[in-house]
Amino acid sequence: MIKFIVRRILVMIPQLLLLSLIIFVVAKAMPGDAVTGAFMGNPDVTPERIEEIKEKFGLNDPWYEQYGRWIGKAVQGDLGMSYAHKQKVTSLLAGRVSNTVLLAFFTLVVTYLIAIPLGIIAGRWTDTWADKAIVTYNYFSFATPIFVFALLMLFLFSFVLGWFPSGGSVDIRITEGSWEYVVSKARHLFLPVMSGALLLTYSTIQYLRNDIIDTKLKDFVKTARAKGVPEGKVYTRHILRNSLLPIAAFLGYEITGLIGGSIFIESIFSYPGLGQLFLQSIGTRDFTVVTALVMISGIAVIIGTMLSDIILSIVDPRIRVE
Amino acid sequence: MAKKQLLLLVSLMLVLGVFLAACTGKDKDGDKGKGEGNIDPGKESGEEKDGELSFPLDVSNKDKAIEDGELTYALVSDDPFEGTLNKVFYSGNPDYEVMKFFDESLFSYDADYLITNDGAATFEISEDNKTIDIKIKDGVKWHDGEPVKASDLLYAYELLGHPDYTGDRYSFMIENVEGMPAYHKGETKEISGIKVSEDDKEISITYKVATPSLLSGIWDSPVPRHYLGDMTIEEIMSSEKIRTKPIGFGPYKVSKVVPGESVLYERYDDYWRGKPALKSLVLKVVSNASILETMKKGEVDIASLPTDQYENAKKLDNAELLGKVDLAYTYIGFKMGKWDAENKVNVMDPNSKLADKRVRQAMWHAIDNETVGKELYHGLRFAATTHFVPVHESFFDAKNPGRPFDPEKAKALLDEAGYVDVDGDGFREDANGKEFVLNFASRPEGDIGEPLAQFYIQNWADVGIKVQLKDGRLVEFNAFYDLLENDDPGVDIYQGGWGVGSDPDPEGIHGRTAAFNFPRWTNDKNDELLAAGTSEKAFDLKYRVDIYKQWQELMIDEVPLAPTLYRYELFGVNKRVVNYSIDQGSDLYLYQMGVSK
Repeated sequence: MIKFIVRRILVMIPQLLLLSLIIFVVAKAMPGDAVTGAFMGNPDVTPERIEEIKEKFGLNDPWYEQYGRWIGKAVQGDLGMSYAHKQKVTSLLAGRVSNTVLLAFFTLVVTYLIAIPLGIIAGRWTDTWADKAIVTYNYFSFATPIFVFALLMLFLFSFVLGWFPSGGSVDIRITEGSWEYVVSKARHLFLPVMSGALLLTYSTIQYLRNDIIDTKLKDFVKTARAKGVPEGKVYTRHILRNSLLPIAAFLGYEITGLIGGSIFIESIFSYPGLGQLFLQSIGTRDFTVVTALVMISGIAVIIGTMLSDIILSIVDPRIRVE
Repeated sequence: MAKKQLLLLVSLMLVLGVFLAACTGKDKDGDKGKGEGNIDPGKESGEEKDGELSFPLDVSNKDKAIEDGELTYALVSDDPFEGTLNKVFYSGNPDYEVMKFFDESLFSYDADYLITNDGAATFEISEDNKTIDIKIKDGVKWHDGEPVKASDLLYAYELLGHPDYTGDRYSFMIENVEGMPAYHKGETKEISGIKVSEDDKEISITYKVATPSLLSGIWDSPVPRHYLGDMTIEEIMSSEKIRTKPIGFGPYKVSKVVPGESVLYERYDDYWRGKPALKSLVLKVVSNASILETMKKGEVDIASLPTDQYENAKKLDNAELLGKVDLAYTYIGFKMGKWDAENKVNVMDPNSKLADKRVRQAMWHAIDNETVGKELYHGLRFAATTHFVPVHESFFDAKNPGRPFDPEKAKALLDEAGYVDVDGDGFREDANGKEFVLNFASRPEGDIGEPLAQFYIQNWADVGIKVQLKDGRLVEFNAFYDLLENDDPGVDIYQGGWGVGSDPDPEGIHGRTAAFNFPRWTNDKNDELLAAGTSEKAFDLKYRVDIYKQWQELMIDEVPLAPTLYRYELFGVNKRVVNYSIDQGSDLYLYQMGVSK
C-alpha cells in the first residue's frame, strides 16, 4: 500500500512540473501584464517609470528566465509578490483559503448527504414515482448553469424570503469567538453551499442509481435472496457495499468540480475566497497570483485523483496496481 | 459524463471570464483619476446641456440626525477590496473607498479641484510660485492620539520616492520636487527640496518647475511615521498595520476588518472638525448583481449604482438617486502615427489613412451620440462636445458646440476632401480613388459593447465610410491596450475612454512626448498651448482658462480623437440619510453625515 502511494506521489512531481510550465507560458502569452494594466491611461506616470517598475519585477526578461526564477522560489515556498495586492502571494492565499476550504468541504458533505439517500431510493425502488421525481430533479440539476441557479437561490431565499444574508462570510458587528459568530458564519455559508450542492448531486445520484439497478440483477444477490436474507439486509450488506465503490472513486473528481464551481458561487455571493481572487487576478493580469492559483487547483486535482485511487484500492483489492 | 461536465465548466468559465474581464476593464477606465486618487470627482454642470436628466447632489431629507446612528455603506464591486489601506501603496479604487472614511488628505478642494485652506492644513505659495508652505492646524490628531506632524507628510514623500517603491504614484508632481530624482536613485538620503520646521507643524516643499498643477496635483496625504516608520517598504506593504489595523485622522476609525469583505468603523471623538454624527459605520462589498435588491431591503444606505440598472433603480421607493458627471469621457481615436520608443516621442505619419483632418471631422459629425446616450445608456451618458469634461467648470468651454451629429455636413466634408464613391458600391473611395476601409477596435462593455460598435459602424456607413470591426469582433481590455500601445497596423480607429484626472492639464494624454497619446497626433500649436497652460503665467486662472479655450478650439478643428460621451455617476441613498452630498464643492463634510431614524 505504502509503495503504491509513494509511487503515485513520485508520478505527481513531473506532472506538476509540466503543469507549471504550461501555466506559466500560457499566462505570459496573455496580452498585457500587471504593471502596464495598472498604469494604463494614468497620464501622470511617465513611460520611463513604467519601464523602471517592469525591470524591477523582471517582466522584461525572456520567459524561460522568469520561469526559472519563479520555479526556483516556488519550490522553497515563495510564490512571489502580487502586484495588485502589494503582498506576498502566499500570505494573500493564506487569507483566502480558509473560506474556500470551508465552502468546499460543506458543499461536498451536503452533496453526499443529499445524493446518496436519493441515489439509493431511486435505485432500489426503480420506476416508482419517487424514482421518477429524483430522475427529473437530476436532469434539472445537470442542465442548470450554476450561476443562474445561484442567482435564483439568492433572489428567493435572501431577497424575497429574507431568510439568509445576501453576501459576505460573516456579520462584521458580531464579536469573534462567540456562539453568535458561529451561527452567523453558518447562515452566510448556507446559500453558497446549497447552490453548489444541489447542482453537484447529479453524477453521484446517477452513478449510484445505475449501479444499484445493475447489481440488483447480479447472481450473488439472487443467491442471497434465495438463501432467505431479508430484503433490507440484501441492500445494506450486498448491494450497497458494491455500488458505493464508484462513488468513492469519484470523490477526487468532485473536488475538481468544486474548485471550478467556487469561482461562480464566490462571485455571486461576494464570498471572498480563492475563486473570486482567481477571476480578479486574470482581469488585472496579476500573473503571480494566477499561476499560483492554477497550480493549487492542479495540485488539488492530482491529489484528488490520487485519493480516489487510494480509496479504490483499499475497498477493492483487484484494482491495486503492482 | 465527467468529461461533459468538464467541457461545460470550461466553456462557462470562458464565457464568464470574458464577461468579467470586460467589467474590470470598464471599471479601470472609470477609476483612472490622477495618480493620487485622493479627490472625489465632483461638481456637476451637465444637466442644462443634456436637457432631460438631472440629479440632485444633496440628499433631500432635512431632518435632524439622531444621536449615535448607524449606517451601512455599500462598496459595489464584483471583486473583494484588496485591502492595502494606505494612500501611498493601494492600487484599486475599492481600497480608496475604504480609506475615505478613516483617512483624509490635508487639504480641502473646491469645485475646480483646487486646494483651499478649509482642510486640516493651510498653505501659502511663494512669489516665484516654486515653493509651497504647508501648516498643519492644531488639534489634528491620528487615531492613536499622536498629533499629525509635518514630518509625517515628509515621510509620505520619502516612501513615494524610495528606490524600493513600486507603486504608481511616483508621478510628475513628486518627481518635480527639488532633489527628488537624486533621492529616487538612492544617491542621497534626504530630499533637498523638503524642509520641516522646528516645531514639526510646518513643511515647505520646493519644486524644480513652477506649474499651476501644484494647486490640484500636490501630494497631501501624510503617513504616520510613528506607527509605520520602523519597517522597510516591503514589510509595510504586507503589515497588518496597513491591512487590518490602519490609522488615519479622518472622522471614523477602523475597528475591525474582515479582509476583502467588510469594515467596521467607529466614531473618532477627537476628530479635528468636531464630533462625527454616526456612532458606527459599516462598509460592505456588494456585487453588482445584488445591489439593487439589497438597497430595496434597506440593508445598505449608500451605494454607487451600476448605470445599466438605472431603469430599475428609479423604482426604489426607500431611496433617492443622486448623480454627478464623472471625470471621464469616451471617444473615437484616430491612429495617425507611431511611438518612437528610442526618442520617447510621438511621430505622425503624413501618409496615414486618416491624415486628412476633414475625414476625421466628418467621422465625428457622422455619429449620433445623442441617440446612443438615450437608447443604450438611458440618458446617463450624453453627447460630448469638447476634449474637456464639464466637471472642470471653469475650463470647460460650455459655449463650444463641438461637432454635433450632422450627416449632411459629414458628407460635404468628405466630398470636399475628394473621398467619393468611384466604383458605385455605396462606399467612398479615398482621394486617390483607392478602396477606403477602416479597421475599428472596440472593447466589450457589458451587453452594450457590441450594439454600440455596430451602431457607430452603421452611422459611418450612412455617410459612405466603410468601417469594420478589427477581426470581426470586440477586443478584450488588456489585448486592446496592447494593440494601441504598440501601434498595431491593423487598427485605424478605436473606441477608448479616459479618466481625465482632477488636474485639467491634458499634456499626459495629448502631448508630443506622452506615451498615452495613442492617436500619435502631434501639432506645433498644441505644444505651444499645452506649455502655456502649465506655465508660471497660468497661475492666473483667467489666463489659463483662455489658453484651454483656445486649445479646445484647436482640438475640435484637428480632431485627433472625437469625444463621444460624457457620463453620469449614479448613487442610491436611503431616505433616512441626512447631511450627505456628492458635490465636490459642498459645505457638507463626511463627519456630518448621519441618519434620521
